[in-house]
Amino acid sequence: MEPILKIDNLSKTYGNVPNQTKALNGISFQVMPGEFLGIMGSSGSGKSTLLNCIATVIQATGGSITIEGTELRTLKGKALAEYRGKTVGYLFQNFELLDNLTGRENILLPTSLHGVSERDGKERLNKLADYLEITDILDKFPTQMSGGQRQRVAAARALILHPKMILADEPTGALDSKNAKNVMEKLAGLNRDEQTTILMVTHDSNAASFCKRILFIQDGVIFHELRRGDESRQDFYDRILMVMAQLGGGSCNVL
Amino acid sequence: MFSNLVLRNSRRNRKENGLFFASLVISIVAFYIILSISRQDVMIFLQKMESDAVNRLMAMIPIFYGMTLVILFFLIYFASKFQLERRRHEFGVCLMLGMRRGKLFGMLMAEDFHNSILALAVGLPVAVLLSELISLVTAKAVGMGIVGHKFTLSIPAVFWTMAGFLAIKLAAFLILSGKISRQEVGGLLADTPEGAKKQRPSAVYALSAAAGVGLLAAAYSMAIRGTSWQQIGMMALTLLMGLTGTLLLFYGMGAVVSLLLKREKSRQKLHTFNFRQIQESVIHQSASMAISSLLILAALCCFGAGVAIARTNNQSDAHVLDYTFEDHSSEPPEQFLSRLQNLLEQKGVRDQFSELFEMKIGRIRIADDHKNAFRMEPLMKALESLPESENRDMLINRFSVSDNPYLLCLSDYNKLLELAGKPALQLGADEAAVYMGSDFVNEAQAEILSRIFSEKPEVQIDGSTFFLTGELQTADIVTDRSITILFALIVPDEVFDYYTRQQYSVYVNAVLSEDAIGGDSLMNAISRVNTLLDGAALEDSWIEYESYLQNIGRQLFYMVAASYITIYLAIIFLVIANTVMGVQFLMGQQKTSRRYKTLVRLGASYETLCKSARKQISWYFSLPVAVAAVSSLFGVKALFAGLLASRTEGNDAEMLIISAAMILLLCVVEYIYMTAVKRSSDRYLLTKMVPEREE
Repeated sequence: MEPILKIDNLSKTYGNVPNQTKALNGISFQVMPGEFLGIMGSSGSGKSTLLNCIATVIQATGGSITIEGTELRTLKGKALAEYRGKTVGYLFQNFELLDNLTGRENILLPTSLHGVSERDGKERLNKLADYLEITDILDKFPTQMSGGQRQRVAAARALILHPKMILADEPTGALDSKNAKNVMEKLAGLNRDEQTTILMVTHDSNAASFCKRILFIQDGVIFHELRRGDESRQDFYDRILMVMAQLGGGSCNVL
Repeated sequence: MFSNLVLRNSRRNRKENGLFFASLVISIVAFYIILSISRQDVMIFLQKMESDAVNRLMAMIPIFYGMTLVILFFLIYFASKFQLERRRHEFGVCLMLGMRRGKLFGMLMAEDFHNSILALAVGLPVAVLLSELISLVTAKAVGMGIVGHKFTLSIPAVFWTMAGFLAIKLAAFLILSGKISRQEVGGLLADTPEGAKKQRPSAVYALSAAAGVGLLAAAYSMAIRGTSWQQIGMMALTLLMGLTGTLLLFYGMGAVVSLLLKREKSRQKLHTFNFRQIQESVIHQSASMAISSLLILAALCCFGAGVAIARTNNQSDAHVLDYTFEDHSSEPPEQFLSRLQNLLEQKGVRDQFSELFEMKIGRIRIADDHKNAFRMEPLMKALESLPESENRDMLINRFSVSDNPYLLCLSDYNKLLELAGKPALQLGADEAAVYMGSDFVNEAQAEILSRIFSEKPEVQIDGSTFFLTGELQTADIVTDRSITILFALIVPDEVFDYYTRQQYSVYVNAVLSEDAIGGDSLMNAISRVNTLLDGAALEDSWIEYESYLQNIGRQLFYMVAASYITIYLAIIFLVIANTVMGVQFLMGQQKTSRRYKTLVRLGASYETLCKSARKQISWYFSLPVAVAAVSSLFGVKALFAGLLASRTEGNDAEMLIISAAMILLLCVVEYIYMTAVKRSSDRYLLTKMVPEREE
């Protein structure tokens, strides 16, 4: 099987020669279709830089990012906009719903941007709304929704155009634990049932325990990798905590 | 360091808010132009002969200045408010870093002052040039040679422009910075809430829109029918209804927009987003949109009135008489003409005139019973039997007060007609023609009267029967347009002599000879002859003269003053309304910049965003403008019905021309503003195209 995302020796340097910061220092990994990959790391580890590079928010200094055989660096103008809208779907920490549009209008926004016929969009909308349990709130404005509802509406918006991959940037960051769990369950369910590929950046070990594989990043390099086998989520969570402790305290304290 | 910061900040302010800076410049221009009106060529020229009226106008200028000051204060206050609001976060950071409030205040003050000085440096030369240009154009338009034009710089006007401008700037600044500096640092640092205000049920908006339309309709019907012009209370009621109607209409316009949102299933990109944005602006900013709309309406009405005044006064430029001499001595009136001729001959100015002839005006003197000296029941009956119309009622009004008409002499009047190139009047011994000053009747009324006269109605002069005949006569009998006669009878010479008992006043009319004019413009010729006459010391013989120039000067003055001021106000109103709308839109866009960022991340291209914003701008401007344009159709009609009734009545073609000119002006101005705002929005959106992740 061909990987959906291939990252090869990616590096990103901020600043000029005497005081350069290497945010990414030669990272390589692949994401297979249908994978649910988590990326964890402390502040300043480079995980946000990595996600920003994949989302074309910033340009990498070296290395390459290839999505389904297309090198991201070559994308310009219209193709870039298409990539942002259609190839990847984005989930934001603070949802980024337009507060003057209803839930339905927010979800259909990408279809209007990318010229998808209304009928197709509506069909997909109904299916997603059904699964994400947001049918009742479709005609409400974001201010009238709870945080969890907002993130699920945002998820429906990210998925409306059948993107190849979902990029989730701390999707539970602004939610309480109950809503966070609910959103993660829905994401995991989408990954399981629809084979949606998800790449999620998070601080939250609890949220990360829903992933199938987790990459830990420290100082711009991959420091560790965890795969969830057949173990329960609780066991996986404990393993994550252990790595996190190591990340936080350094190798001399634990193990 | 500090001054560097000030310079850099003020440069940034100008760049980011060019529209605001432009409005500052415009307000400076407005101040200077209104203040330097006394230095305009036309005004200097008029001051020589109409000094009273000109001085009265000059006395009114401080009022206009004050009014402009107040209006522009609101504009500046409003624009500065947004400019400062945008920098709240920056102020918060400055205070957090330990800058004292006094220092912050000083910095803002210095920035403000720096920008004001720059605005003055740009605005004053523009104002001086523009004022010179207006001066030249008006001088050319009224036919004065431009040879005598001198560049004038009115120092008091410059001074008061600067004083007024700096004063309102300072006042706005003090109020605003006072508000800001009272806030807590935390409040400044926090982002202003994006303002997702609660919307009311759509029925509320629909009801409000319906009520608004109802009130507006009532107000306009009152104004057009003339009810509002009868009493000041009624006028206040009409204005109040119009004002509330407009406010309610805009408040309810959200319902209209949401109808559009639902109805129109467009395939256009971001259709829903666009309409939601428009709906939001309409609902949140309904009051300021309504006020902008009212300002535009005021501008259109002012402009309509100004153009109407300018045009109506321009109509009667076909003139026959150049001079009228009047006798104030106690010599017998019948000798006045020969006395004058001799005098002119002596002083050597007789050859300047090709014609000198008498115009005798008398009253019926023969009867003892002055009240019943004249009766005209058949005429009144004929009028009353006509179908009811405004023109008929006005005529009945006019005649019911004229129970003692003047008498004019047929031979004098025929001389006048001859000079005007019209056929002479033929009257039998028992016939009379009716004369009315052209200011008192319009064409429709003249036609009604001429129709009645063709049936030769009877009138009684001191018991003797006369038949009215011929068409209604309206030629000006002397040059002085302020001597007008509402109602007179033109009678054969013997009849005139008999009934006036030789007691009448005599005016001697004169026409300049070809030599006197000598290929020069009439204006200059009359000026020259005036100098000759002044040198001839006519006043020693108790003779006064009035020239067509004075007369035209008076007319010109009213025309220039009225149209100048109304058009000036129109431009000020338009500028303010558009600046308010433009600034408000751009600020709203900045407040909701997050939405555009989200759209970028969802894959919207720059072109798509620009198109979307441009569409919003078009709608945002069009709504108030459209409402104002529709209202102005009624407004101008009401204005004509109330204020300019006698001048423009029934003149549909003229209304059409004025409306077309108004619409053209509006289109041009709106196009300019919309383009400026669209450009500014495009530039702003470009800065949002670089997506950045916020931690």
